[in-house]
Order: sequence, then C-alpha cells, then structure tokens
Amino acid sequence: MTVGRALFQLLVFPGLLYAVPVAWLMLWMERKLTARLQGRIGPPFYQPFFDFVKLLAKRPLPRPPLQALAMSALPVLAVAGTLGALALLPVFPHSGGFTGDLVLLVALLEIPPLCAVLAGFVSRSIYGELGATREAVLSIAYSLPFLAALVALAAAANSLSLSVISQQAMWQVRLPALLALALCLPVKLRVNPFSVANAEQEIYAGATTEFEGPRLALWELAHGLEWVALTGLWAVLAFPAANAAWPLRAVVFVAISLALVLVLAAVAAATARLKLAQAARVYWLWGSALGVLAMVVAVVWP
Amino acid sequence: MSPVIPVGPYHPALEEPYKIELDCDGEAVREAHITVGFNFRAIEWLAERKNYTQDLALVERVCGICSNVHTLTFSRALEQLAGVEVPARAQHIRVVVHEAERLHSHLLWAGIAAEVIGFQTLFMTCFALREKVMDLLEAVSGNRVNYAMNKPGGVTRDIVDPGMVAATAQAIRTAMEREIIPVFTTDRTVRARCAGVGVLTRDEALAWGALGPVARASGLPQDIRKAAPYEIYDRLDFEVPVRPEGDVLARIVVRALEIVESCRIIEQAVDGMPAGPIDAGDFIPVPAGEACARIEGPRGEVFYYVASDGSDVPLRVRIRTPTFQNMPTVALMVREQTLADVPLIQASIDPCYSCTDR
Repeated sequence: MTVGRALFQLLVFPGLLYAVPVAWLMLWMERKLTARLQGRIGPPFYQPFFDFVKLLAKRPLPRPPLQALAMSALPVLAVAGTLGALALLPVFPHSGGFTGDLVLLVALLEIPPLCAVLAGFVSRSIYGELGATREAVLSIAYSLPFLAALVALAAAANSLSLSVISQQAMWQVRLPALLALALCLPVKLRVNPFSVANAEQEIYAGATTEFEGPRLALWELAHGLEWVALTGLWAVLAFPAANAAWPLRAVVFVAISLALVLVLAAVAAATARLKLAQAARVYWLWGSALGVLAMVVAVVWP
Repeated sequence: MSPVIPVGPYHPALEEPYKIELDCDGEAVREAHITVGFNFRAIEWLAERKNYTQDLALVERVCGICSNVHTLTFSRALEQLAGVEVPARAQHIRVVVHEAERLHSHLLWAGIAAEVIGFQTLFMTCFALREKVMDLLEAVSGNRVNYAMNKPGGVTRDIVDPGMVAATAQAIRTAMEREIIPVFTTDRTVRARCAGVGVLTRDEALAWGALGPVARASGLPQDIRKAAPYEIYDRLDFEVPVRPEGDVLARIVVRALEIVESCRIIEQAVDGMPAGPIDAGDFIPVPAGEACARIEGPRGEVFYYVASDGSDVPLRVRIRTPTFQNMPTVALMVREQTLADVPLIQASIDPCYSCTDR
C-alpha cells in the first residue's frame, strides 16, 4: 500500500470525506425510519449535522485540568480510532491493504468502546460509572462472537489480510460469520434490543451522561462513524465479487451499508430493551454458537 | 462505585417528582428508600377555606389524569350528606365518563410501561389509541383533562350523541384486542422484561394494603365497583380481571383486560341510558354532619371524608388516593431485582404522586 493510497483511504474514501457525511446520513436514517414506523414525522435529513454544529458552538464546562484533558481526549481518540478502522476497509481489494491489517482493524474497532468505558469513569458520575460498567460487561460478551467470526474468516482464507479474506473466504464459513457479526452490530451501536449501556430510562445517557458541548459533539460523531465502519465492514465481507469494476463496488458497498442501517433501525423499533444479563446471555449463547460454528466449518471443511 | 443510586426526584423514567434511593450491589438492588412530598400543594387545607362549589373545581385538580374520580367521590360524599338522589340518566353519564377516564389512564400507563422498557414504538401505539379516548372525553365534556362533569346531585352536561360514544368504545376495544394486548403478552422482549419481575405475593399485597390493579394482579379480587357498587354498577354485566402471579406482567394483563371491560361497561351504560333530567336541581344545601365516599379509581380505591357544620364551607376534607397505599409496596418489590428493573417496577403500580402530594 503506497502512502498516497493510504492517505486517500484515510481522508477521502472510505475515510473522512465519505464517512462523516454518511455518518450523519445514517444517524438521520435511523431516526427517520424509527419515526415513520412509530407514526411520527421525524427530523429533516440535515438534523444530525445541525445537532453537531450546535453542540460544537457551546462553551465547554470548566473542569479540573486532568479531567478536562481526559474528557476531551477520549472522544477524539474514539473518532480517530474509528476513522483508522474505516481506512482499512478493503472496498477496492486489489489496490490496498497489507498482511495483518485484520488485527489492526480489530484493535481500532475496540477503541471507541474502550474510550467510552474510560469516559464513564473519568466523568465521575454515578450514571456514567454504571454505563461504563455495562459497556465493559457487554464488550466482553460480544467480543467472543465478533472475534470468533473474524478468526473463522481468516482461517478459511488462510490469511490475515482483509482484502484476501473479503475475496476468498468460502460461503459456508462466511454465512455463519456474517450472521454472528450482524448479531454484534446492535450492541456495538447501542440500539435496541441491546441499548443497555445507554438505557435512558435507567441511567440517562450512560457513559456520556456528563459530557457537554464540543465533547459530546465528538462522541456523537464517533457514534456516527461507528455506524459507517461496522456496517461497512459487514458490507465488504458480504460482497466478495472480485471482478466487479470499482464504481460498482463502491455503489454496492454504500447500498449494503445503508440497507443494513434500515434493518437495524427496524429491529430496534420493534423490540424492547433487554436487561444486561439477558443481553450478555444472548451473546454468550447464540453469538458464540454462530462464531464457533463458523470456526468449526473453517477448520474441518478446508 | 458509590453504593447509593438516586432515581429521582427528576429522572427520565419518572413522570412526577419523587425519589427512590437504591442501595445497590453492582446491578442488584439490596434496599430501596422512597421519598415523596416534592409537589405538596395543600389542597386539603385550601378545601377547608373555600365553599363547596369552589372545592369541586379544586379537588378536580388533585390529579391531572384521574380528575373525574375526585369530583365524583366528592360529589357522592356531599350527596350522602344532603340525602339527594341522583337521576338515573346522570348516573349513566357518570359511569360513561368514569370508565372513559379509566381507559385513558390505563392506556397512558401502558404507554409509560412500554417507554421504561425502551419500547418506544409500543409507547406511540398506546398513546395514539389514548388520543381516541381523549377525543371521546372532549366530545362528551368539552375538555381533555379536567372534565368538570360532576356536581352534587348529577352531572353538568348531557351526552347528546350516545351512538358515537358506543362506537368509539367498540373501536377502542377492537384496537386493544388486536394491537396492544398481543404485543404485551406475546412479544419476547416484553415478556423477558416483565415476566417474573417485581413479584408481590398475595399475602404481601394483603399485609401492605395494596389496592386496585396492583392487588388484583396479586390474586386479591377486590374492586369497589363489585364490593360496594355505586351509581349503576350493580346493574351492569362486567368481570373483574384477577391474576395470581403478582409480577409486572400480571399487572399489565390485569390493566389490559380492564380496558376491555371498561369498553363493555361504556357500551352497556350508553345502551341502557334512560331519558330524564341530568341533575337534582341547581343548588344542593349541605347540612351539618359527616360522610365518607369511596369509588374505584383507575389506580384503586379513592376515599373522601367530608365534615360539614351546615355552612357553605366544609370543616374538613380528607382525601386518600390509591398511590398512598400502593407506594410502600415498591420498596418490597424492587428488593433483589436488578437496577434495570426498578423504573419498570415503580411504574407498574401506576404511581400518581401529584395525587399523593395533594
């Protein structure tokens, strides 16, 4: 991967220039579809952007220096980590990537939840601490199926390179792995039925309860970017056509991502919120079953 | 982590200001302490300084949801003192408004229950249906919240279009049976949140004096409409739903079935509505004496005591609302449950703290 190529992926597509507007678009789509399903009108499409600008314009609360530093740095880190993960997505598999970028992707995708956990404790609010605890417990629960699915894909393709994996993993492994990854999406994106870590009626906003103004704006941006990165990861793994021309690949990538947002929003609108133990059980049981199935198939069906 | 987690006085899960302090061990609740009185308005004190006509408007404002219950109970206490017979048509109209109020109160509660378990679509569905009840109440009384329908000796307004009232009740019953009850009883995520949660056993309900749907969901078949029928309830055909489980799901089912029964009551009351006057005269003098009245409000038994010295100002008006009785059971129910269950359990008694803080 050349430096120019890396910069293009980080700053243009599927990085910054693409990801930020699409993050707002996805946040809007989720809100709009939910509203329509509930018989409401919903916000105009520019609403998430306006929310972001409005939050940015607010003056941050004065805080003790170390706390202020941590509370500003953590959302920045979450945004940066997610952007890095986005840049690694092999939308155009022939012209990028390196061996081992799967490991880096997994690490970068874990940064936002980790930052959220730290943010909850740093903010020194009881609700933030509860949200952080829930986030930590859930991330342990969903990491097993999430990682098992990716490891199974890597084993099936016999490679740690994302572009090779996205092209060469067999469908008998890919299918259970994609299902396991899809199951992990609602909890990683904190939507129903797994919106446990930000359960408003129980613990306000969870880890980000004490965040305000620009710091909260960055969290919102990080959240939007997580939508783009996670649905994007699912999209590149679900569309392996190696011979497709690059415009077609880009269009299909965007289409699958947006369709996934709609599916997740519809599921969220049709469910109640589970409890922490119930949500964790779903991942330990069903998520792990899918992940282990993918791994077993990858090993015994070469 | 600090072991005490405050829920309230201002919290997204609470409709009104009050406070539950939870001694927690991680997510598990060990002990709960309830504080009320954030919204005290001295209504009883005011009632002893205003005349009966003004008091009628005053007690209507005890509660923003069950306002009609208060004027009805107050009027019944005064009628008892004055020995006035309420005309049959007025009794039918009273029952229609009383049950329509139960409908909208229960639907509001069902919406809130859905909201606190994070099921906003169901919340919207319940509130859309509740809007039909509100429209019905507005068509009958001219008001959406404080209906001003009751007065000592009768009602203030006639029902001019009984056919519309019956048709609306039937439409609500159909929507309830087709849309809302199936979701609450069969949806897996709702069941996962409600079944077996916040159990109040029959003995506990009896010992702690639980009232209304809370008692009926714990297997106590108590309902003032059956036990001490008032107005025309002894002539109506309706069931009192009782469930033995005592959990949150049972409270949901009891209230949902009560909505269906209320629709049936409205249909019957409208059907059998006789012609005739709607009040026993413009002015009812209240002689010296004392009287008690109790009726079955949406949340349980509402009790009024009125003492009069023969003047136009009462000596004493005592109001006891059902939440006052049900509230202590919350501390019992949340023990050994998880933090996530607390908003739902406290909501499951259908708390009305503005009534309690009258």
